[in-house]
Amino acid sequence: MRRLRGFGSLLAIVVIAGASLIYTLVAGNKPLLGLDLQGGVSVVLKPVQQVDNDTIDQAITIIRQRIDAIGVAEPEITRQGNNILIQIPGVKDKERALELVGQTAELQFRPVLANVPIDPQEATTTTSGNPATPTTTVAPDASTTSTTIDPTKTVGGLPLDVCSAGLSAEEINAGGQAVLPQCQDGLLVGSYAVGPVALTGSALETARANLADSGQWTVSPTFKSGDDGIGGFNAIAGQCFTKGSTCPTGQLAIVLDGRVLSAPSINSQSFKADQIEISGSFNERTAKDLATALKYGALPVEFEQQQAQVVSATLGKDALHAGLIAGLVGLIAVSIYMMAFYRVLGLFAVLKLGVEAALLWSIISWLGANNGLALTLAGITGIIVSIGVSLDSNVVYYEHLKEDINHGRSIRSATDKSFVSAFSTIVKADVASLIGAALLWWLTVGPVRGFAFYLGLSTALDLLTSWAYMRPVVKLATRSKFLLTRPWLLGLPAEKVQERGMAKSSNRPNAEVSQ
Amino acid sequence: MSKLGRLNRGETNIDFLKWWKIGLAVSALLVVVSLGSLLTRGLNLGIDFKGGVSWEVSAPDVTVDETRAALDSVGEGSAKIQIVGTDIIRVQGPESTPEHTIAVTKTLAELANTDPSNVSFSTVGASWGGDVTKSAIRALIFFFIAILIYLSFRLELRMAVAALVAVFHDVLISVGAYSVFQFEVTPGTVIAFLTILGYSIYDTIVVDDKILENERLVGQSGRLTYGQMTSLSMNQVLLRSINTTVVSLLPVIALLVVGAGIMGAVTLEEFSIALTVGLLAGAYSSIFVAAPILVWLKEHQSKFKVIRERLQSQGVDVTHASARVDLLGVDAGSPAISAGSTKTSRDSADGSAPMAAPTGVIPPRPRKNQRKR
Repeated sequence: MRRLRGFGSLLAIVVIAGASLIYTLVAGNKPLLGLDLQGGVSVVLKPVQQVDNDTIDQAITIIRQRIDAIGVAEPEITRQGNNILIQIPGVKDKERALELVGQTAELQFRPVLANVPIDPQEATTTTSGNPATPTTTVAPDASTTSTTIDPTKTVGGLPLDVCSAGLSAEEINAGGQAVLPQCQDGLLVGSYAVGPVALTGSALETARANLADSGQWTVSPTFKSGDDGIGGFNAIAGQCFTKGSTCPTGQLAIVLDGRVLSAPSINSQSFKADQIEISGSFNERTAKDLATALKYGALPVEFEQQQAQVVSATLGKDALHAGLIAGLVGLIAVSIYMMAFYRVLGLFAVLKLGVEAALLWSIISWLGANNGLALTLAGITGIIVSIGVSLDSNVVYYEHLKEDINHGRSIRSATDKSFVSAFSTIVKADVASLIGAALLWWLTVGPVRGFAFYLGLSTALDLLTSWAYMRPVVKLATRSKFLLTRPWLLGLPAEKVQERGMAKSSNRPNAEVSQ
Repeated sequence: MSKLGRLNRGETNIDFLKWWKIGLAVSALLVVVSLGSLLTRGLNLGIDFKGGVSWEVSAPDVTVDETRAALDSVGEGSAKIQIVGTDIIRVQGPESTPEHTIAVTKTLAELANTDPSNVSFSTVGASWGGDVTKSAIRALIFFFIAILIYLSFRLELRMAVAALVAVFHDVLISVGAYSVFQFEVTPGTVIAFLTILGYSIYDTIVVDDKILENERLVGQSGRLTYGQMTSLSMNQVLLRSINTTVVSLLPVIALLVVGAGIMGAVTLEEFSIALTVGLLAGAYSSIFVAAPILVWLKEHQSKFKVIRERLQSQGVDVTHASARVDLLGVDAGSPAISAGSTKTSRDSADGSAPMAAPTGVIPPRPRKNQRKR
């Protein structure tokens, strides 16, 4: 058993690599392709004015709702500083997608003419409906049964899928009457017939959510002073309070991007700008959401399209294809080179690439399936570059080995010795690469990040496999009697101790000992 | 064959002290050419840096002139039209309205006899490229600082400085090559330049690590100048440097030749040109830039200055690499130390360096980390 000490890591890494690869294949995980490889739309939006974090988050929510409306599989919307990066792979109607994400959302106050509450349970049917019609599957809160919404059915004058499909500008009809939905977790929970827009979010100063002494959550908007602010609000509030013909229900709807957020009843003739309170069945989350929406409405963020990219599916596929073939050719070329130079040890180096590849494939697939991390062409380049980094660790070790043997050490004792110094070099060099990758990932935008991530990932894997795989596997090779007596098979020089012996093979006719 | 054999055993005796002079002269020339070209010709910046719209469509059998004629009708007759890869038409115009972009897309689709969804386009605001460049430069500055700290800590300050000078040299020459040949600079190119940084540092660290190891062994024993010791270290790691460069270059050349050249993937071309230039520069600079700068810095250090002056006063030729010294043998207590031999020719050195010949005894390594057997 003592003979096997130190080989545990070899067994472990091979088993882990094999198991994770099998798991990935069985689970059907595949790397998620970036849109430069599968086609799609990518947009970078930059806010025109200075904005705070909440506002950006609110804008992202709005953009996400809009993209969901065009029925895209996996849109990815991320923040990079104050920029919003939107990636919509495989979208069909690219022009509409571009148009939708750039529009500024408006917060509106509209008098409610009539409202129909909708029971979300009643509005959904558990039958799958006509398979020919597009359906949207939603999971209502935490319930385990998924329900299917039939978009052809309408409730309260609205199609049932309105919460995911959204409304067009004509349907929102700011200047006149409209029927607008109230949504909760993607489900239609209310339908409101509303009058023309009485006031927009620009009348607001700010808003916040409060926890009252009674334990109730409330939302307090603060209006600006003057006719554009509290004056305008009081004008419409007065109409609602008296339940006049323009506001027969006495409710004032707060609408953001065509969706009714809340429709509080007005219970006073007029208000002071900073003493308005919206109360109702809020919990902490809904209260804060409404306050954030109101704040966003006060200063709707306008975006400037920094960059838009539309990649056709064919060009993307061609690039992927070319990248893979080129990678393969490169791999074969370095494998031949390594094996020609280091023989069996070279083969081990190539197998090390195989272990790394299995791990890398599993990690990328897992991240693609769970975190939506896409593999881009830049990422593939990073991985191809890392082939060199990985093999370099082997080269450093093997050269060290050769040098030690040339200095009179036996192959066996040199194996351990050289690894210590070689690994110290490898760690220094790899850590420097990791520092670079980490900084690039943190400090840059766009494609550079993807590249940095994959370069960093494969460098970290190199550190792992150098220690867990390369060290024991070389040790194993140098224990073999067969290989030890034929050092040229290892690409190593003959041991000096045996220099008059058989190990001075015909392979090196010129290997006169020169020192 | 015998030279290759010596290379294989790390037993070459190339006089790097001599080659460094040539190397530095070549580097200086390249840097001057790069700077001159950057100042006079500048860089050929892609639309990602200037702002504008770029369309790409795969259109075999369509010529640039036909494209220009077709685009004239939508007012893009003056756009820059190229055929990239094998059959991809690329059109680049100034920033415009979304409607105009769509109109050009449709025209190109008609021309290529395909569906508009097969036309790729990208519009870039003028400030985007600035943002990308700014963030890249910021990353670069932090990278330099972090690496300086890390290398000072793991190796030593002078090595860190020399490594950074080498990296700077590599980036300058790579960017210079883009200016001289007027290759288009895209975000892909920026990525490639950033890779060069990492690679160049990596290579230099491996070389420096060897120098450091030898410095502990012999640098303080006073038989070699720092320069001679470094030259010796270079000889020892030469094969590694060559092999590393080959294994790094092979995949990148595959990208360039197979991916970009034969299969016509444009983005791959952008990456691989910069990477090829950078990898070559990186391998070269770790030997011919980082090392001589390190030597220059070190020989101003009093300890090594003293050694050099003493050797000089003993009539030892310090301007050339010394005959090969078996460093391990020195420590093993071999009596025949004559590293200061004035023999400088490579051939005589190789055969007759009176160094500790292997005696069949494993010399004890001066390291402490010996495992119990």
